[in-house]
Amino acid sequence: MIFIFFKNLFMDLYRQPLRTFLTLSGVVWGTFASVLLLAFGDGVSKSGKKSMHGMGEGIVIAWPGTTTISYKGITKGKAVRLTAEDVLLVKEKVPDILRISPEYIRSRRIRYNKEEYNNNIRGVNVEYQYMRNTIAQKGRFIDDPDVKNRRRVCFLGNTIAQNLFKDEDPLEKKVYVEGVPFMVVGVMVKKIQNSNYSGQRDEHCLFIPYTTFSTLYGQKYVSNVIIQPFPGQSVPVVANIREYLGNKIGFSPKDADALFIWDFTDLEKSLDIFFLAFNIFLGMIGSFTLMVGGVGVASIMLVVVEERLREIGVKLAVGAKRKQILRQFFSEALIIILMGGLIGFAFAALVLGVIPMEKIEDYVGHPQINVMVGIVTILILLAVGSIAGLMPARKAASTNPIEALRSR
Amino acid sequence: MIDMRNLKKVYKTGSIEFEALKGVFLKIEKGEFVSLMGPSGSGKSTLMNIIGCLDTPTGGSYYLEGRDVSGLTFDQLSEVRNQKVGFVFQSFNLLPYATAYENVELPMLYNGKKAPERRQRVDELLTMVGLYDWRKHRPTELSGGQQQRVAIARALAMDPPILLADEPTGNLDSKSGEEILDLFTSLWKAGRTILMVTHDTKIAAYSQRTVHILDGKMEADI
Ligand SMILES: Nc1ncnc2c1ncn2[C@@H]1O[C@H](COP(=O)(O)OP(=O)(O)O)[C@@H](O)[C@H]1O
Ligand SMILES: [Mg+2]
Repeated sequence: MIFIFFKNLFMDLYRQPLRTFLTLSGVVWGTFASVLLLAFGDGVSKSGKKSMHGMGEGIVIAWPGTTTISYKGITKGKAVRLTAEDVLLVKEKVPDILRISPEYIRSRRIRYNKEEYNNNIRGVNVEYQYMRNTIAQKGRFIDDPDVKNRRRVCFLGNTIAQNLFKDEDPLEKKVYVEGVPFMVVGVMVKKIQNSNYSGQRDEHCLFIPYTTFSTLYGQKYVSNVIIQPFPGQSVPVVANIREYLGNKIGFSPKDADALFIWDFTDLEKSLDIFFLAFNIFLGMIGSFTLMVGGVGVASIMLVVVEERLREIGVKLAVGAKRKQILRQFFSEALIIILMGGLIGFAFAALVLGVIPMEKIEDYVGHPQINVMVGIVTILILLAVGSIAGLMPARKAASTNPIEALRSR
Repeated sequence: MIDMRNLKKVYKTGSIEFEALKGVFLKIEKGEFVSLMGPSGSGKSTLMNIIGCLDTPTGGSYYLEGRDVSGLTFDQLSEVRNQKVGFVFQSFNLLPYATAYENVELPMLYNGKKAPERRQRVDELLTMVGLYDWRKHRPTELSGGQQQRVAIARALAMDPPILLADEPTGNLDSKSGEEILDLFTSLWKAGRTILMVTHDTKIAAYSQRTVHILDGKMEADI
């Protein structure tokens, strides 16, 4: 029934394959490019954020430094030192802290049988795993009894575990750190992490209870502190920590170098903005490509209107109103664009399906057509289609019936 | 039914003006079958197009069923074309890609009639013009006479009070032409008002009254 309105369109498309091909190809290419750009943009953003989460999610890292401002009669240049006890007290004294962990870092020779590596040892507490995403793939992370009893247990990064143990199961085995045996309680799950704030990436490290660390190596002062404030609270929490520790240890809360702070939540925010801008930029490139296709459809449709003047004349003669003619040619342009869009979308899906993702995953993440990509592409298609359809449709609707009927 | 007074039509082509109708007076009553005769270029088609609301006059007045149509908007004229007049052209003007059925259905689609009503009306009209068995055929698969009968069925789809035909047999052989004229006669006998353009007195003889136009002006009725 309503099909008759579009019958001529489909017959036109069928009768003039070359023109159809040329008309559609612009839209197909535009959609294809848009979808791929958006998918890759999304993949890159996600892998960028993920690799940052490899270091931690919503955390603040604090390094004790040297004072640069005189404070309460103490001249500047004093080294600031924090004990593990100081660190744990911070959580009690400063509000809005979800988790906290001291961290000791050193390089040590780590051996199992004949394999030996000089890697990082990190002395940490239980909460560390949730902040730094050191999740166990096998066994478990350091637990409370380990910390309390200064046990000689260790949690291995996945790469060092692989290097030391090859195909052997590391759980319950003993590795030797400078000759001291540690029992393996867990191995970390593989994660994306491009760098670390100090020392090696987590996959190369060996994690032990901080209590064991400080006793064994006689190290009283921590290397750094990992803090996880409640969401959105990092700014006041940082200020309060400076205030509290400054008072207690003796440095000015305004002295940024006395306690050097790295706020990941800040970094995440700017990363979010960066990736948003990046994706908008890619979306715009895609839109422009699609617009070129839209211009093609618009100009072909203008020719089509010219060719179909007689049809328009007949329809007007039997009582079609302007808006009914307008609607017909507008929908026709939209149908062509959506058809091209569908084909372009299918091509893009095909290409994304064929690309061997494992080879590019480390660089661009996992590009895929998700809801966001779909919705954005459809919106761009509709916008381009509307603009491309309106001009020919208005031309068609402004036809004079007598002149249209006289045309051949 | 139709009442025209001092109707004028001036065509403008660039700076050249041409007065195709120079003050036409025409009155047609309900139920009449009228022929409009005149030599080529005398303004017959121009007048028919204005009567059929496909074109607008540049002067004078035109009342259709007592309503002044000279001031109507484009869409209002579309509505008049849809409901008040059925137009039959010399060159049929069927949609080439549509079947006989779809061509007849077209005016009803623009009026938003429901599917069962449309189907019933199309079947009824195609049966009346003797083309029910050809309803699935495209115009190119039909003879000229058959195409014109489809066009007549389409003109009657919305059951308009007046049927206009501009040289309806001009493109047909004499036998097909006669069939069309017999169809007009039976439509007229069933109460339809018909105005038909021709330059053949034998064709005009089918009608009840003949009016003559010459050089954009009416001559006295015969
Ligand atoms: N659109 C137009 N522009 C200019 N002149 C026109 C136009 N249409 C018709 N004419 C002129 O008006 C006169 C009447 O034409 P028409 O009504 O078609 O005559 P008929 O149908 O009686 O042969 C002719 O001289 C024709 O050239
Ligand atoms: Mg004529």
